[in-house]
Amino acid sequence: MKQNTRHIDTDLTIIGSGLAGVAASSFALRRNIRTAQAGNTGALAYTTGYFDLLGSLTGGSGASISDPWEGIRRLRESEPLHPLARIAEDDIRASFEEFITFLAECGITYGKPGDRNLDALTPGGTLKKTLSVPATMQAGVDAFARKAQCIIIDFKGLKGFSSRQIVANLKTDWPQLRHERISFPEIDQAEIYPEVLARALEVPANRAKLAEVVKGLATDAEAIGMPAVFGIHAPDRVMADLQDRIGRPIFEIPTMPPSVPGIRLRELFEQVFPQKGLTLIPQQKVVSTDLQANTIQLDLKDNYGPIHISSRAVILATGRFISGGLEAHMERITEPLFGLPVTQPASRDLWYRHQYMDNLGHDVHRAGIEVDEQFRPLDRDGKVVHHGLFGAGILLAHQDWIRGRCGAGIAVATAYKAVQAALSVLQPAAA
Amino acid sequence: MSDTPIKKLNFKELASQLLPEGASFDSCLTCGLCSSGCPASGLENMDPRKFIRMAMLGMDEELSKTPWVWMCTQCKRCQHVCPMDIDIAQLVFAARSNWPKELKPSGIVRSCELTRSTSSTSAMGLPPEDFVFVVQDVLEEVRELQPQFKDMVAPMDKKGAFFFVNQNSREPMSEPDEMVPLWKIFNLVGADWTYSSKGWAAENFCMFSGDEEAWHQVIQQRVDAVNELGCRVWLNTECGHSYYTMWNAINRFGMEADFELANLVTYYARWIREGKLPVNADWNTAGLKFTVQDPCQIVRKAYGDEIAEDMRFVTKSLVGEENFIDMQPNRSANYCCGGGGGFLQAGMTDQRRIYGRRKFDQIAATGARYVLTPCHNCHSQMEDIGDHYGGGYHVVHFWTLICLSLGILGENERAYLGPELAALGL
Ligand code: SF4
Ligand code: SF4
Repeated sequence: MKQNTRHIDTDLTIIGSGLAGVAASSFALRRNIRTAQAGNTGALAYTTGYFDLLGSLTGGSGASISDPWEGIRRLRESEPLHPLARIAEDDIRASFEEFITFLAECGITYGKPGDRNLDALTPGGTLKKTLSVPATMQAGVDAFARKAQCIIIDFKGLKGFSSRQIVANLKTDWPQLRHERISFPEIDQAEIYPEVLARALEVPANRAKLAEVVKGLATDAEAIGMPAVFGIHAPDRVMADLQDRIGRPIFEIPTMPPSVPGIRLRELFEQVFPQKGLTLIPQQKVVSTDLQANTIQLDLKDNYGPIHISSRAVILATGRFISGGLEAHMERITEPLFGLPVTQPASRDLWYRHQYMDNLGHDVHRAGIEVDEQFRPLDRDGKVVHHGLFGAGILLAHQDWIRGRCGAGIAVATAYKAVQAALSVLQPAAA
Repeated sequence: MSDTPIKKLNFKELASQLLPEGASFDSCLTCGLCSSGCPASGLENMDPRKFIRMAMLGMDEELSKTPWVWMCTQCKRCQHVCPMDIDIAQLVFAARSNWPKELKPSGIVRSCELTRSTSSTSAMGLPPEDFVFVVQDVLEEVRELQPQFKDMVAPMDKKGAFFFVNQNSREPMSEPDEMVPLWKIFNLVGADWTYSSKGWAAENFCMFSGDEEAWHQVIQQRVDAVNELGCRVWLNTECGHSYYTMWNAINRFGMEADFELANLVTYYARWIREGKLPVNADWNTAGLKFTVQDPCQIVRKAYGDEIAEDMRFVTKSLVGEENFIDMQPNRSANYCCGGGGGFLQAGMTDQRRIYGRRKFDQIAATGARYVLTPCHNCHSQMEDIGDHYGGGYHVVHFWTLICLSLGILGENERAYLGPELAALGL
């Protein structure tokens, strides 16, 4: 039996389906670029749903910061090579705005990014500095700010979320907070994943049953918090309906992964990208590449067989170690797909500092590829590797996004810059 | 159950043989996305992530015996959502294979045995001569009672026909009129097709029973049948696993097949695009809502989203764009209905229905009155859970709706339509 290779001829291919990859695709679609995307969803499904721009300055004490824009200005002095330090503030703002507008059009509303970080609730009952939260979580941020009379509910058997623990940790700051535990109607299993409850709440009849139970509990609460389970693909609608039935404001708090907000984002992109004309090869990794004069050739395969992509430009957004964008070998860290040089500590001994919790972080977490101001990867001599190859996201060197709480910021802003730069190659006149 | 011991497998070693391209258990991040997204999680304490953990820890004894493996439908959704691309279904298959026959769910084993009992390869054991007779009998009746189709053919063993069409046994066995709409479609588009008296059947539960040798043999019979007639395309009927077991086996066992494999959905879409099937949604004046079920075996496990798009194109052409509502999630991320993997044959009704609850909720969330699906297992399972949980929806084959839209659906060909369509266009 013959197995035919499927050929895809396109202008731009985005490799990687983490936040940087999907943001890049959304920007490319907005600019009417013929786009294909391949790559495993990576860490996208693990997010809390919060979009952090910059939550702390990694060079110093690691304390959290309230004004991310001021933080970026300081980064320009202290860490000029940090990707966020290399992008103009206007571009960063524009990138967030455009991405959030895209998401809202597709069914998940986020709060408009402002000038200051928000204090958002975590599943552990701590607070986290972030720039923008999904609309389903906004009332929690507001309630905390006002220290309003609130109740947080959890469900028997639900993994990764304890309302009692959250309340215990927040009690000092937020004395008016209570907790309750209830059984989720008609689901009685020893262990329940949030995803299961979120799917169930897509059905109006199940929302009605839950609302009945919750109504009885929360007679004096100004707002009611629950784990993030307000549906998967139309959370705003599910929340509005549930809120109507319960009769008072409700909000979500992220759960531990695998959490619903991450699954929401992944499914949203899998859904809307093909509808908007993007060629999506979901969950498959590019296995080999070939740089030619005017195109970049990519090979991969899915369950059905081999696929060959010929693309005029490529954005590499493959992330770091977990998603395979970087590989750690005994002696060195490599970039496996294009063999790009990786900036890294001089030897493995220097990957980690002695103290795991060292405030300065670990140098291995700053490893990555070098790019020029057009976000084109550079070779060992500092020369552009290929005029059509761009890099975006946490694959870029000189940042520790976990400690800096700037993962979304780097992903979205660098994707924006990379797409703009790709556009100028693809349509010199338009850009 | 007897005391037949279940041999202990070394799962770590197995994984290194089975998992492609360096994907190994060691790469598991224990993130739980697989378990969170698996409808079987919780059945008999099943948990796909735990499966991996236990294999890592060398708990081979427990894994070799666990009844989990019969809760899993081998739908590969876990792999689809896994960031490390870990294929748990492969291990489940290996574990199933390792169970002694007498301990396996007897329904699946029996379906496989029946498949091998005649050269029909029918899981219901329908012999070739009976199949030939039923086809002839039904054809004569249609020619007689529906004058419009007095010249319709249903060729048998026609050498050199372009399409070799397989047939699910359920129709000739228990609802023969359900074969007719598809014949009408072939007739209308002028397809050069044939049935075969040998290797004609579409089911293959040998794969699900974990009997690799039997699976191979059944497919060999089918491949030989197609080669013998010299057909260009093996056209799979509206059935998921019959496609997958054939397609996968040909690659897996490196078989000589001088033909292409294709799916009816692909051809429905092509014929509609080419104008050969002039369907439209004019009949749907009531604005009845439809959704589609993506069978795992042809979408996620085989063609991917391409065929899912074709399915949506066909559906929208048939019912009107505004009357189509997608289930969430869908296409490659869709949930297995719970009828796959031999679950419908295995006799574990309670577990199967709990598994199907997720599908039921998905359908309920669409509010659709009808579910279209090109798969017999999905069809049966969704009907059953609809009855069980009080769904009030109907499950229909594509061929029914195509003929309905074309105004050529006979009175006896409407078993799956609701009362509002029972007489439409007659
Ligand atoms: S989804 Fe994959 S990586 Fe995560 S626990 Fe399951 S098998 Fe492991
Ligand atoms: S193959 Fe399907 S049923 Fe089996 S473990 Fe994976 S998701 Fe669950």
